[in-house]
Amino acid sequence: MLEAFTGRFRVGNTALGLPPEGLPERYRGAPRLGEEFFSGDAAEIGAMVCPTGAVDAGKRTLDLGRCVFCGYCEEACGGKGIRFTPDPHLPFGTREELVIGRTPHAPAVAAKKLRSLLGRSLHLREVSAGGCNGCDLEAQAAGNPNFDFQRFGIDFVASPRHADGILVTGPVTKNMKEGLVKTYEAVAEPRIVIAIGACAASGGIFRGSHAVEDGVGGTVPVDLYIPGCPPHPLSILYGIVAFFGRYPGRVPAGAAEP
Amino acid sequence: MMRCVRIFDLAESRPLAEDRFREFLREGIAGGDRLLAFFAEEPSPGRFLLHAVVGGSAPGRFAHGCAEISGQAYSTFTDVCPAAHWFEREVYDQFGIVPEGHPELNPLRFHEGWPKRFFPSRSPEAPEAEPRRGYRFLQVRGEGIHEVSVGPVHAGVIEPGHFRFSCAGETIQHLEIRLGYQHKGTESLLAGKPGYRHLILAESISGDTAVGHSNACARLLEALLGRPADPSAESWRSIALELERIANHVGDLGGLATDIGYLFGAAHFAHLRGQALGLLTTLTGNRYGRGLNRIGGLAPRIPGTAPEPILDRLRRLRVDAEKGGSIMLEAPSVVVRMEGTGCLRLRTATTLGIVGPAGRASGRDVDARRDFPSPCFAEFPPTVILQREGDVLARARERYEEMLESFRWLSLVLPTAGAGGGALSGGSADAPSGRRLVVSVEEGWRGEIVHAAVVDEAGGIAAYKVVDPSFHNWPGLAFAVRENVISDFPLCNKSFNLSYSGADL
Repeated sequence: MLEAFTGRFRVGNTALGLPPEGLPERYRGAPRLGEEFFSGDAAEIGAMVCPTGAVDAGKRTLDLGRCVFCGYCEEACGGKGIRFTPDPHLPFGTREELVIGRTPHAPAVAAKKLRSLLGRSLHLREVSAGGCNGCDLEAQAAGNPNFDFQRFGIDFVASPRHADGILVTGPVTKNMKEGLVKTYEAVAEPRIVIAIGACAASGGIFRGSHAVEDGVGGTVPVDLYIPGCPPHPLSILYGIVAFFGRYPGRVPAGAAEP
Repeated sequence: MMRCVRIFDLAESRPLAEDRFREFLREGIAGGDRLLAFFAEEPSPGRFLLHAVVGGSAPGRFAHGCAEISGQAYSTFTDVCPAAHWFEREVYDQFGIVPEGHPELNPLRFHEGWPKRFFPSRSPEAPEAEPRRGYRFLQVRGEGIHEVSVGPVHAGVIEPGHFRFSCAGETIQHLEIRLGYQHKGTESLLAGKPGYRHLILAESISGDTAVGHSNACARLLEALLGRPADPSAESWRSIALELERIANHVGDLGGLATDIGYLFGAAHFAHLRGQALGLLTTLTGNRYGRGLNRIGGLAPRIPGTAPEPILDRLRRLRVDAEKGGSIMLEAPSVVVRMEGTGCLRLRTATTLGIVGPAGRASGRDVDARRDFPSPCFAEFPPTVILQREGDVLARARERYEEMLESFRWLSLVLPTAGAGGGALSGGSADAPSGRRLVVSVEEGWRGEIVHAAVVDEAGGIAAYKVVDPSFHNWPGLAFAVRENVISDFPLCNKSFNLSYSGADL
């Protein structure tokens, strides 16, 4: 018992400071679109290699709701035009805002009514509606001693009756559609729906399969999207906290760089 | 020739009759082989073939059997090879072909909402199959027997699945596991021209096993296209695989600690899991090692990674993990809670074909790193660790000791890894023509991963079969919880920690 105490004491407080510093250089977080993307051929090259059709060469846009952050487009265009940065800050309010282009979007912020009701604490029921478990693991990790989202009053609860909203992962399989709807309906209003990862936004890499619904939006209304494949626990933490306007540091300037 | 990959020429071999196929399975299992994969294929409309791959009784031993069956029914092979029982249910779901005499023929993935005549892999030109029958739970009868149903949405942050317990008082008499909620049609998306899209899908088969599945898939595609990776790339693949093993074993020890209310272990190991995932991020740019592999080698960012900083961080991680693990697994409050709980006997494990740490904790001596070694494991063989008791404590110890072995192995191999290993080029490619079956095996952290692809005359992938270790192991959980109290189920479940997504392909 004493050993356990000293062991714990030796490791100390492991929670990361916010805003966090030093994700590894190689981490593929928010992509930045450079001039080559808008006037060069980076968009065409990206569209050719993208496995999920996230890059639209005609409109010169990148749909973060479809992007699986594989980095093939960046490699194909030699980092000119599309570059993934270690920045984990990626909250978006609507499906349309996930499509980034030359003009940056304003950061997603909760409607005033939701903010006043849920601003001080947020209890969520997690629903895994398909997916590969990657996003579920990251949602779970956001509550571990490293990321510790309880310090912002966010927590997962065991029943939708105890929850202010649901956090959904996965493309919504046909077999989980009913489970998702029932869970959503069991949450008292006002309620919020947070969709995590590429699958939840658009079906991701599973888009078009006979067994999936291609995202959460067609089944229940979504208030907040956090893209990624899977999103970093910091993206989840930051996304939720920023959505309620309670982040101590920077706000995202959108994903395009001047 | 790599011993973890094998190509079978299907143009040469002629399908066996059903009874010869039964003999093939019986002899294979009796000779110490295990069932690696079992799946059906429709090479031309209305013609159905059953493929079985067995092996493992000697390093690099693979054997392939193929039976031609009618499009309606065949008599079940579960009697000679019990490990085939879920595979036969899967074939029933995909093609509507009935294994007559099967002990529990229920749809595995298609729930009530699906049309009864929907068979995703059966071609529209084939003669129509009988409609699929509805799901029937096994009913345990007797005085005081009651049922408890759990899921698909669970109380924790985990994947969906449904469990139906038949209990007498608190004691579980029978557990029926109903999955399929995670079914995304992954295998059907894997057909077509071989290319990097396969690797990305392989990484999404089971989120915590991205490296294991992507290694197996990459080697399969390389064998198919005739572009093997160089030894240095193979070293880095195995290094990433062992980092993934450490991360998950550490995470599972934390999960077990959570489930018994041992909070020091829960916090300590959750923190260490983050450290291990941080190492994978440093290497691949993703916490789960996504984007490691390319066809013919590694992603361009990885070659040139210096091993020293990784070794340094591994050393610190090892000290913390070893200390935390030894404290936890010697604490009387932990031992008394885990000992004798959720016992899976060796005989049951062998009959059902349980693989990975769950099998080894029951004393089943299987490890693909030894039985189907990839080049790096052939050069540096890891030690296979076995326990005997088969209870939750044995599975916890198995994970702890395997993790220590991975640390030892990594400290040996990392300095020799070399800097090469870039892929030849990305993109999709044309495979040489000729009908073939390519099989690739990798020991993921959860157990044996098998990828198999049938290639048609034109060089496209006609059928792609993925066997995640969970698919073998789920029935084992149902046996392990018998005679336990229902409140021990979460602990038993965690000690297996199986993938729902990997089973619901």
